[in-house]
Amino acid sequence: MHNVTLALQGAWKVLAASLILGAGLPLIFALGIRSLAWGAGGEAEVHTTGVTGPKANPAGTVLGWILFLIVLAGVALGITFVVATGFGKVMSFDHIYPTIHSK
Amino acid sequence: MTQSTVILILVVVTALGFDFTNGFHDTANAMATSIATNALRPKVAVALSGALNLVGAFLSVQVALTVSNAVVKIQGKDGAPKPDLVGDGGKALLLIVLAGLIGGIVWNLLTWLLGLPSSSSHALFGGLIGATIAGLGWAGVNWVGDGTKLDGVVGKVILPAIASPIIAGVVAAAGTWLIYRVTVGVAARFTDNGFRWGQIGSASLVSLAHGTNDAQKTMGVITLALIASGDWSDTKNIPVWVKIACALAIAAGTYLGGWRIIRTLGKGLVEIAPPQGLAAESASAAVILVSSQLGFALSTTHVATGSILGTGIGKPGAQVRWRVAGRMVAAWLITLPAAAVVGALMWYIGHIVGGGVGGAIVVFVILLALAGFMFFRSRINPVDHNNVNDEWEQAPAPERVSAGAAS
Repeated sequence: MHNVTLALQGAWKVLAASLILGAGLPLIFALGIRSLAWGAGGEAEVHTTGVTGPKANPAGTVLGWILFLIVLAGVALGITFVVATGFGKVMSFDHIYPTIHSK
Repeated sequence: MTQSTVILILVVVTALGFDFTNGFHDTANAMATSIATNALRPKVAVALSGALNLVGAFLSVQVALTVSNAVVKIQGKDGAPKPDLVGDGGKALLLIVLAGLIGGIVWNLLTWLLGLPSSSSHALFGGLIGATIAGLGWAGVNWVGDGTKLDGVVGKVILPAIASPIIAGVVAAAGTWLIYRVTVGVAARFTDNGFRWGQIGSASLVSLAHGTNDAQKTMGVITLALIASGDWSDTKNIPVWVKIACALAIAAGTYLGGWRIIRTLGKGLVEIAPPQGLAAESASAAVILVSSQLGFALSTTHVATGSILGTGIGKPGAQVRWRVAGRMVAAWLITLPAAAVVGALMWYIGHIVGGGVGGAIVVFVILLALAGFMFFRSRINPVDHNNVNDEWEQAPAPERVSAGAAS
C-alpha cells in the first residue's frame, strides 16, 4: 500500500499549490476586471436602467492594470517553468523568488 | 535491408501515427472552452494550439527514454532494452512495441469516433501493458514498483487517474466561485470581453505544457525501438530527426483537431461562459505544471475534464450534464484494459503468423483497415469546425399541427 500513501502525500501538495496558482491567479484577474469596470464606470457596471451609470474613476483603471500585471507575472513564471524543465533545469523557490539551476 | 529494419520502419510509422492521434485527441483539453465561448474562432484556436504544441515538443530536450519503465519491464534502468529481448536483432521487442502502439491508436480512434475525451497516455500504456503480458507474461508488467516511490501501473497510472480530475475539479470550482463572487455588479458584456483574453492566455499555457509532456512519450518509444534494432546506441540523447518528426506529428494532429471531442468537452458537459473558461484552463494549467514539478504523473485529459466539470459545479445555477460525465468516466475506466486487450490481440496475431516481418506487416495492415473503417464511419455524421458549437440538445421537433385544426 506504499503507493496509496505516497499518492495521497503527493495529491495534497498538488492540490495546495494548484489552488494558489489555479484559483488564486484567476481571482486576481477577476479583481482586475472588477477594478477596470469601476474605473470605466457607466455602462460597465450594473445600474438601474434609465439612469446614467456610476462615474468613471481613474484609480480603478490603474489598480486594474496593476492586478493584470501580477497575473502576467504569474503566467510568465509558468512559461519559464515549462521551458526550464524542457532544458533539464529545475526552478527552485528556496530563496522565495524563483531561481533556475541545473539538476 | 534486414528484417529488423523493415519492422523498425513499421514501428516508427506507427509511433508517429500514435503521436498524431495523441495530438488531435487532446486539442480539446486546451481549446474546447475557448471555442465554446467564441473567444477564438475554431480554426484559429486549433492553429494556435498546434503551433504551441510544436514549440512545446521542441522544448522537451530532456530524454524521455525511460517512459515505458513506469509500466512494463522491457528496458533497463538506463533506458537500454533488456538484453534478452534484443538477441534476435530486436524483433521480439519491436513486435511488443508495435502491438502496443496499435492498441493505443485503435482505442484513441474509437473514443474519438464516440466523441469521448479519453486519455492518450492511458491508451499508450494500456497497449504496451497488453502486448507485454502477451509477449512476456504477467511478470513483464511493473504493477506496483518497489514501494519506495510512486511507480508501476498502480502508482503512475491508476492512482493519478483517480486523484487528478478531483484535484482539477476542486481548483476549477473554487476559481469559478471566486470569479463570480468578485464580478457581481459588473455588466456581463464587460466581463465577458475581459475573461476571453484571460481564457486565451491560460489555454495557450495548457497547449504548451501538452506539447512538452506528450510528444516526448513518442520520442522515447521510437528511440527505444531504434536501440533495440541496433540503429542507435546513445541512451542519453535522442536522434534529432526523431524529435522533429514527433513534434510535427503532434502539431499536425492538434491542428487537424478532434472536433468530436472538442464538441463534447466544450458544449456537452457544461454550458461554458468566458469566466468559467478562464477558471477551467487556469486550473488545468496549474495542476499540470505543479504535478510535473512534484513528479506526479498524470493525464492532461483527466485534468481538463475535471476542470470543466468543476466550473459547472462552481458556478451558481449552472447545469452539469451528469449523463455525459458518466460516459466519460466509464471511458476512462476501460481505456487502459481495452487498449491492453487490443495490444495483446495484435501481439498474438503477429506471433501466430510467425512473428518477424510477416507478423509485423499483418498487424500493420489490420491497423490500417481498422483506422480506415473508423474514418469512414465518422463521415456519416461529421463534426468539424462548422458545427462544433451547435446546441447540444437537439431542438425539439416542431409540434405537429393536428389535421383538423383550422389554419
